[in-house]
Amino acid sequence: MEFLNQTYFALRGPTETTQNPHDTVSRLADRLAQSTQLEDRRAALFALRGLSRDYRAEVGASALDAFLVVIDGDALVDQEVAKAVLQTLNTLCEVDGAESGPEQREIGLRNTDKVLQDPLHTRKLFGLLNDASFYTKYGALQLLNTLATNRRSVVQGHFLNAPEISPTVIAMLEEKRDMIRNEGLQLFQALIAQNTDIQTVFAFGGAFESLLRIIAQEGGVEGGLTSYSCLIAIEGLLRYNSSTQTYFRELLPSLPPLLLFPPSITPEQESPQEFSLQFWDEAKTKNSSLVVGIIGTMKAPEHIRLLMELGIASNAPPFLKTQALSLLAGYNQAPPLFQVITPYHPVADTNGEEWDRLEPCRAVDLLVSISVDGEYSGMALTPPTGKESMEYRGVALSTFDNFAKDEEVATDILNGMLSTTQTPPTSASKLLLTSISTLPTSPLSSIAAVKLQYTCLLFASLFHGPPNHSSTSPKAIARGLGSLSATSTDGGNFFVPADGGPPTDAKVADEDDDEPPSSLLQLLTEHLSLSMLARSKVGDDVIEARLWDKVIVSYLVLLCTWLWEDPKGVRIFLEGGGVGVLVEPISQTSGIDVLVQGLCALLFGICYHFNREPGGEITRKTLHAIITRLGVDHLIARMARVKDDDRFRHVSPESIVLPFHPSMISNGIPEAEIWLDWAFVEFWKGNYYTVQKGVSTDPDSQAPGPGDAAELQMVIASLRDVIRKQADELQAARAESTGLKVKANANKAGDADLQKKLDALTLERETEREALQKEISVLSTQISELQEKKKEQEKEQEDLLVFLEEMSEKRKRDKATMRTAGLEVSEDEGGDEEDD
Amino acid sequence: MSTLTWDYVLKFVLIGDAAVGKSSLLVRLTDERFLTNPDATLGVEFGSKLIHIPDEDKTIKLQCWDTAGTEYFRSITRSYYRGAAGALLVYDVTNRASFEHAEDWLKDVRDHADPNLTCILVANKVDLVGDEEELASARASLDVPAPAGDAPRKSGEGASTIGRRSKKKREVGREEAERWAKEHNVLFIEASAKTGVNVNEAFDQAARDILRKIKQGVYDDGSSGVKSGKSPANPRKPAPNPNNTLTLESTKQSSGCC
Repeated sequence: MEFLNQTYFALRGPTETTQNPHDTVSRLADRLAQSTQLEDRRAALFALRGLSRDYRAEVGASALDAFLVVIDGDALVDQEVAKAVLQTLNTLCEVDGAESGPEQREIGLRNTDKVLQDPLHTRKLFGLLNDASFYTKYGALQLLNTLATNRRSVVQGHFLNAPEISPTVIAMLEEKRDMIRNEGLQLFQALIAQNTDIQTVFAFGGAFESLLRIIAQEGGVEGGLTSYSCLIAIEGLLRYNSSTQTYFRELLPSLPPLLLFPPSITPEQESPQEFSLQFWDEAKTKNSSLVVGIIGTMKAPEHIRLLMELGIASNAPPFLKTQALSLLAGYNQAPPLFQVITPYHPVADTNGEEWDRLEPCRAVDLLVSISVDGEYSGMALTPPTGKESMEYRGVALSTFDNFAKDEEVATDILNGMLSTTQTPPTSASKLLLTSISTLPTSPLSSIAAVKLQYTCLLFASLFHGPPNHSSTSPKAIARGLGSLSATSTDGGNFFVPADGGPPTDAKVADEDDDEPPSSLLQLLTEHLSLSMLARSKVGDDVIEARLWDKVIVSYLVLLCTWLWEDPKGVRIFLEGGGVGVLVEPISQTSGIDVLVQGLCALLFGICYHFNREPGGEITRKTLHAIITRLGVDHLIARMARVKDDDRFRHVSPESIVLPFHPSMISNGIPEAEIWLDWAFVEFWKGNYYTVQKGVSTDPDSQAPGPGDAAELQMVIASLRDVIRKQADELQAARAESTGLKVKANANKAGDADLQKKLDALTLERETEREALQKEISVLSTQISELQEKKKEQEKEQEDLLVFLEEMSEKRKRDKATMRTAGLEVSEDEGGDEEDD
Repeated sequence: MSTLTWDYVLKFVLIGDAAVGKSSLLVRLTDERFLTNPDATLGVEFGSKLIHIPDEDKTIKLQCWDTAGTEYFRSITRSYYRGAAGALLVYDVTNRASFEHAEDWLKDVRDHADPNLTCILVANKVDLVGDEEELASARASLDVPAPAGDAPRKSGEGASTIGRRSKKKREVGREEAERWAKEHNVLFIEASAKTGVNVNEAFDQAARDILRKIKQGVYDDGSSGVKSGKSPANPRKPAPNPNNTLTLESTKQSSGCC
């Protein structure tokens, strides 16, 4: 103040002339720029600082250049000057801090641009960060932050062109003094925002190590705001930057310990209790959520177990568990949900301060229980139908859905339902079967409705695998499932809380004459029909009506998924009275939920399209007659309305929980709702068109039946297999051939030898052949000679015969002559003659 | 991975013209494979490897930063010089211009980097001119005692006649490059990222040189590019503070600036 007074006094002079701020400022600025005395410059500077708040435009216009000179001069030698000039500049550049009118904003930005015009000034400011004085450092950081807030990309550009700066900024992060470190973090975050080059430069400079060190010093995720800023900074360095991610991979082992999880763990090892049971507060949850987010960015397979344990078995807040589970979906490999884990349950009425350790079970069992009954079997502090819980249960559902896409998993779980003895009642199989067999009863509570919804969706997940029409496919196994609770047709309330005992199989024994449904599919058909009945009896209770609609929709979703491409299933459904159940809501013109009606139409279409099982009581003709009566266009219109419904449109892969509906308030607390899951929305989009076309085809048409499609699928699958195998073989062969080539080369010397031998052998053979040929020619001449001889002999023989003939002729003549001459002729010959 | 410890972390930068094979050298070093069709590096990529120097009995972690060679990224590349302990200045033996530009690159490095930085000139792509046999035999004369722990080199395989299809003309002779290296006081080696010949040796030589400098006390601890890992025998014993893994590289990084 003293300086200020002096200066004013000096400027005012002895006479009381009127002052205008512009003159004063420019006079002060001149003095600051031109005075040779440090004292004078100081005085001018302090005066200007005093004026800068009220006359930003004037001070900025006249004195800014002088200030920038001071930064490089007096500020380096005089701490007071440095502090003052940095503060003044900050005041001049600030946009948010000033009484923000557009005019003031404009001034702030104009001054900022002026400061940033020459990159040298920015460098100088960064250089001041090395100053030992607290105020210089702090002031420079503040000013840089202001500049970066106003013109981030310009500051980033200057930063990149001055490589010597980056270690300085990293050093700020390791500052012991909180004020400086926080400003440093803010600057750091501004610099790395959306700039991969700067992110990588910082990674090179060791920013990750520094940040992790600070977090460790602060006590990990319990380090409050400092840890929070550091984690944000780490996340900022990693996001969308493959280089920094590669670098960070080496530091991955340092992440799990932040959450008290061991950096490496074998599948046999149990996760430590200090990880599963922790005290959580809001700040810690926030920090942990960032750590989990970083883990999600890195997608390292070694963290799958951590996410699974955190998401399923730990006592972390539902928000964190939801995040962990949903990150699991981002991995290419399915989480090892058959892994045995140790769950914990809160002890009732201890407000989450005491916990029971439960028997180890498979992760998937716990997951299904979470989805069906809510966290800790519905005993959590948060209401199981609140938004947070619903999100968590929804994520558990989609995790299960991902897991069950593997057909082996689905088969395993369904087989678990078949065997009555081996599977423990808490297993996923038994839990699902028990809940799905439970008939919802009026009055319906929202807890029971939601439970049934999740159960149906979970069950439908078992059919989401690739199409398969063998007798061991999930659908085939499911068809063979008996209903666990045949007695439920008695109307007895069969709601079994998960912590209660499982239904005893003995109940199945006391069947009455009412022909209880023998299979699960029939039971579901019946439950659907009963639910529709119950819905119609509700009357004016809007909330309960809506709950019943939800239940009905869930049944329909399950049935649509199940009966798709399953003619045998369709037959069971139709013969269980399915047509009657569906037709009524379809034909109803008012007082019916759009979604219920649309899904009924879809299911009806599916039944018609896939009703190809020979020998069924209800033929395609029968159904076609009904379709004609309902009207094809009418049916299609009903279906089409589904996709325009908000409950359909608002479902996303990330979340199936819908915004609050005004009518869903129970006990004054708004309840979150689910209707459909993403898997069904995709199913609907993928198959709606087929069904729409299907209902308009002739009943006799052998349209691309499911059998053909199945066959085709199987052929394609087998061909794919063949191709894969062939590709593998080809690769192996290639490898072999290269190996052989190498060998061949290596054996080249040996080859020469062989060649020689071969040549010798060829030669030998050649001579042999020649010899043989000679022999042959000799033999052939011999043969011809012989043949000639033989001919000659034949001729001779002929001649002889002729001669003989002649002789015998002659003899005859002679004999005759002799006879006539009276000479005795031998009998023999004479007899002979007579005989002739 | 986490259980590995090291005595020093050395930061290397790979620099040189575009398309001389910097990324390929790095991938050959870290993954022992050859990039057949690499894309041009944008910005900076990262790779690391542990090497062991038997005669010093030191394990060294090489942190290699592969930079973009194109002019556009030059200013960004400069940001990496200062923090590096070593630089691999790479050129392509079939591309004269890339060798001639080495002069500029070296000047750039000397302008911005720590004066103690070790630079090695690496002639890449010698497989293309097909004299690796000659090279392999010459290796003995290169004054590189082949690391004992690393017995059968893969390079023999590369020297076979397979796959040498396209011979290109050599545009930079070895003597000339050697002379240049000597004049500019940098190390020199001829290598091929494709066959792997001399790739490890290049890093090895540079690392030894840096170790030598460390021994001479050129680097005060915490100086740029060199960090001694405390390499505690058991960095993660079940201590109450589970975060002590973070202290693996426990040397304080001082701001170390002017």
